[in-house]
Amino acid sequence: MRSLLPTTAITALLLGGCLAPMPQPIAPLNSRLEALGANRDPALAGRWLALISGRGGREQVLLLDLERQQPVALPGLNRADAQPVSVSVDAAGERIALVRQLDGRTELVLYRRSVQSLQPIPMAPSGVARQVQLQADGRQLAVQVSRGGLWQVDLVQIP
Amino acid sequence: MFNDSSRQEPALSGQGRFLASVVDRGGKATLLLQEQPSGRIVPLRHFQNHQPHSSPSLSWNGRYVAALVQQGNQRMALIEDRASGNLHRLPLPADRTAVRLSLSPEARQLAVQVAQGGQWRVQLFDLRSLLEPDLPGGIAIQGGGAAPSP
Repeated sequence: MRSLLPTTAITALLLGGCLAPMPQPIAPLNSRLEALGANRDPALAGRWLALISGRGGREQVLLLDLERQQPVALPGLNRADAQPVSVSVDAAGERIALVRQLDGRTELVLYRRSVQSLQPIPMAPSGVARQVQLQADGRQLAVQVSRGGLWQVDLVQIP
Repeated sequence: MFNDSSRQEPALSGQGRFLASVVDRGGKATLLLQEQPSGRIVPLRHFQNHQPHSSPSLSWNGRYVAALVQQGNQRMALIEDRASGNLHRLPLPADRTAVRLSLSPEARQLAVQVAQGGQWRVQLFDLRSLLEPDLPGGIAIQGGGAAPSP
């Protein structure tokens, strides 16, 4: 007796059993990001996505709450005369580490969202910060620093 | 042996137990994973080739290591599961070039910065059907990971 299952269905079943699951684009959030314009330097932690977003030729740091699919306010962090370079957030969404250029200088700063404070983090020995990553518990950051023509990595404990 | 006089793109695991960075190895930008604070090098199964590597990212306990690699003429995101030894690939449409990525510490999402039509874009991918979560308080994976499951 011939099988009632068409050959194509059998092939599909066999293939389906062999194919690994693929990462799926998160359509609603991607549409939200698309609407913000050009975006770069994403950093995920917990329910938060920090990134650098440009609109009208000016870039600023954005912090998106992925559960509410909305940006949250960051009073005192963005400045019209500053160029953000690299950003990172902790899993609580409390601390944001930022490398930015301001008045011809490059600085590393730490922003605490609950108190809206901005604290400079000095490079010792001196160097030019380029890229920063805050570990998810917010207690330490790693920063790529240019010193004497070499790229180095500093680990900085955060009190 | 790697040349650690130039080290770039640092990424710490959730509590700082592991540090990933990109170093020069025989003229190729190569992902290096180290335990902290000892600096002990942790072997990776799937990041021996396909240089240049860039933009490493780690989950909370260092179970998952994600980075961009070169495959043919395309940049591709790879995620190595150090617990199972498995490798997960994230192919992107041909009109997009992956530039940077960020793996969420819990391994629930992956953010990829792509260049598309002369503009930077960030796209999010859901990993929950692909990866077990790696949550705070989990156990750090010690060695180079188990052999890949069939």
